[in-house]
Amino acid sequence: MKALDKPVGVLGGGAFGTTLAQLAARAGHRSMLWLRDPKAKALIAEGRENSRYLPGHRLEDAVELTTDLAEVADRCLLILLAIPSREFRAVSRNLGDSVRGDHVLISATKGLEQDSYLRMTEILRQETCSLKIGAISGPNLALEIMRGVPAATVVASRYDEVVRLAIAALRTPAFRVYASRDVLGVELGGAVKNVIAIAGGITRGLGYGDNTLSLLISRGLSEMTRLGARMGADPRTFSGLSGVGDLVVTAFSNLSRNHRVGLGLAKGRPIEEILDELGQVAEGVPTAGVVKDWAEETGLDLPICRGVHAILHDKASPREVLGELMALHARWEADNRRID
Amino acid sequence: MRKEDRERAVVEVVSRVVEELRQGAASKGGASIEDVLADTLFTERQRLEKAPKDRASREERGFYREVRHRLLKASTTEQVELLRRATDRFAREIVGRFDPRVYAFTTRVVPVGAGLMLNAISPLSLLSQLPDLPNLRQRVLISGATDTLMSLAKRGTVLLTPTHLSNMDSIILGYSLYLLGLPPFTYGAGLNLFTNPLLSFFMHNLGAYKVDRRKKADLYKRVLKEYATVSMEYGYHNLFFPGGTRSRSGEVESRLKLGLLGCGLRAYINNLRRRAQRPDVFIVPCTLSYGLVLEAKTLIDDHLQEAGKSRYIIEDDEFSRPRQILQFTRELISLDARIVMHVSEPLDVFGNHVLPDGTSVDARGRPLQVSRYVLTDQGPDFEEQRDGEYTREAGLAVVRRLHRDATFMSTHLLAFAVFGLLRSHTMDRDLFRFLRTADELGGVSLDDVHPALERLLEALRQRIREGRLSDGAIPFARDPQAVVAEGLRYFGTYHEPPALERRGDRLFCGDAKLLYYYRNRLSGLDLEPVIDQRLKESA
Repeated sequence: MKALDKPVGVLGGGAFGTTLAQLAARAGHRSMLWLRDPKAKALIAEGRENSRYLPGHRLEDAVELTTDLAEVADRCLLILLAIPSREFRAVSRNLGDSVRGDHVLISATKGLEQDSYLRMTEILRQETCSLKIGAISGPNLALEIMRGVPAATVVASRYDEVVRLAIAALRTPAFRVYASRDVLGVELGGAVKNVIAIAGGITRGLGYGDNTLSLLISRGLSEMTRLGARMGADPRTFSGLSGVGDLVVTAFSNLSRNHRVGLGLAKGRPIEEILDELGQVAEGVPTAGVVKDWAEETGLDLPICRGVHAILHDKASPREVLGELMALHARWEADNRRID
Repeated sequence: MRKEDRERAVVEVVSRVVEELRQGAASKGGASIEDVLADTLFTERQRLEKAPKDRASREERGFYREVRHRLLKASTTEQVELLRRATDRFAREIVGRFDPRVYAFTTRVVPVGAGLMLNAISPLSLLSQLPDLPNLRQRVLISGATDTLMSLAKRGTVLLTPTHLSNMDSIILGYSLYLLGLPPFTYGAGLNLFTNPLLSFFMHNLGAYKVDRRKKADLYKRVLKEYATVSMEYGYHNLFFPGGTRSRSGEVESRLKLGLLGCGLRAYINNLRRRAQRPDVFIVPCTLSYGLVLEAKTLIDDHLQEAGKSRYIIEDDEFSRPRQILQFTRELISLDARIVMHVSEPLDVFGNHVLPDGTSVDARGRPLQVSRYVLTDQGPDFEEQRDGEYTREAGLAVVRRLHRDATFMSTHLLAFAVFGLLRSHTMDRDLFRFLRTADELGGVSLDDVHPALERLLEALRQRIREGRLSDGAIPFARDPQAVVAEGLRYFGTYHEPPALERRGDRLFCGDAKLLYYYRNRLSGLDLEPVIDQRLKESA
């Protein structure tokens, strides 16, 4: 593929953006990592590591750093965007000044735009002329990938070319890339699981056991699947890497930001303080509001998401919310019908 | 198509189709030439079994008998030769000049009664009975991006994609394009339209070629698509109804047949490959709106019987009865009725907005170099999967344009309001039961209709302000009283029984299915709660 004669562009110098640039380099390609902040770029360039998010992991020589977005568009055909959801539109719009019809754009951001409730690929469609668009998602804790332990992800696009290019760009002996056509399902899974992950952190913080966490994951997956199916996604997508795969790793792992938000909430700390201390974006916090609104619009009953929203935004007591969840009316497990 | 281009087009179409099928046969999983011929033989034999035993069909049977016989022991080279002959046959039939007099003797597409009329009433004598034909000029209101359409017609090839309500559409489009000073548009018309005395007269303004929907062979469909592609490459503006058939329900099309839209992209790529001087193909959606639709009764019946899918070609509707066309046209003229053709803003073959100078722009108005979309390692080229997706994107953009640019006449507005009020009076939400019993519901008071229409007009104006509907969405609706008066005048003129009639200060439903048909023009705009206040409360 001639597209890979050119460097792989990655936008966003956070943990996952840096990891994607590193993965492309490990897969034998040159990569260009774009950072907005020249100071951050200088810091990484000096030590050849992203000491803020991924300390101790030296960047491959094939990773090039830049703060020039137009240069990325000019030199790369494949561009991955790992930008926090609240800044995604602004960066996409700037990128749109330089993007051409032959560019391939892949969103690696798991989240939804807060006011519009749009997915990241929808924003790319609005802000650029690109049609060959995709999304990448899965159980991808950045630190583990940097350590080179085996992991996998899924890339979704309606275009075969996008999927093939992403696989060629990122696949290494320690990293598998699966393909999907269900862009909606993959993006929804990646966004909604963050809300369930906050609930996972809360149960851990309250000192509940693995049974409770497993219950939460199973019923959380049911909520994700029902919501996704109602919105037009393929329910099978939620049994894959971007659904249950990502949910498990996020709900169990202390490395997950959303999980850590849940831990803090369980200790009774205010959300503002937790986010301040985290210093990074926890996408599950705004997504909880979006999911609550969607549930109301579609008439779906999503009690876990509703409970997380109540804890986050209405200051409800985590213990009381979990107590209410346990007291819900009995239902059939498979289709969530109420048992009268 | 001009005579000098016709033979060239046939040769090009045959060569491309045969070559593509040869390449397909050579690729893994592709259909063999023998499979393609077997499919053609099978589907054509099925069709010919139902065809009349006349000279033309005897000749066709003879041809396919020979193909079948020779195919049994044909070498690969001979198979390709047979394929070439079958393809050439289809191509010549599609491209060839059509003589309705010959056709009337060779098929029974036209019902016997209409066939007799075909002989009895020549198009010209039929037209001479219409009072003052040039009046049509005042009847057709052409609005929207007409200047852009005319500008683009000089800069590239236009692919016009109108909504489809009635067989009258072809007449109106042909006439409108003539009024705009544009050359004839190439148009794939069903055989039944060629046999219609009135329509075939107007077909001259549309460079119509024949589409025989009874021919189901994959080979035939390939030839049709390739002909459309080649004609666009030759610079002939094309017209096709993206809904595939007349809207049975009266709604604006939401699901499109993408086949011919894809031909626009193919023509564009071919133009780039051969470095054509004017490679661009511009898609121009447009909507046609009538206060009354000639075939409304048949179409809505067909929709409600859920026969729409199987009954793709309706041959026995109002349009096959010349006297009824005459009556309808006379009544339209007596109503001083207007027909609106609204030309939408154009799109490129990828669904991007196009400026009057032919430049494509993205959603933020930034200019694009569209040839980049089809760039491969080998330069501009086809990629089947990618191109299918591009065409799907273009189709979605066409649907958005059609829905934004629909025009609503008094009959649509009045039907929507009364239908909504009648439904709000019954607790029964079953549509079919409602349609059977609506005439027994006792009607609705004008005291309810006027405020409902006021709310509806305001909701539409709001959508116009928000840019969700075009400025010309309600060109004739001044106020509720005027809508009621005009709507009733129309409904009382042509349909029997009328969809609605006034008795005292109440409006009664005379034909609920017709009322449903006309109100459907406004469906999909989420306007139901505006009429039925209960829906608003529950929302």
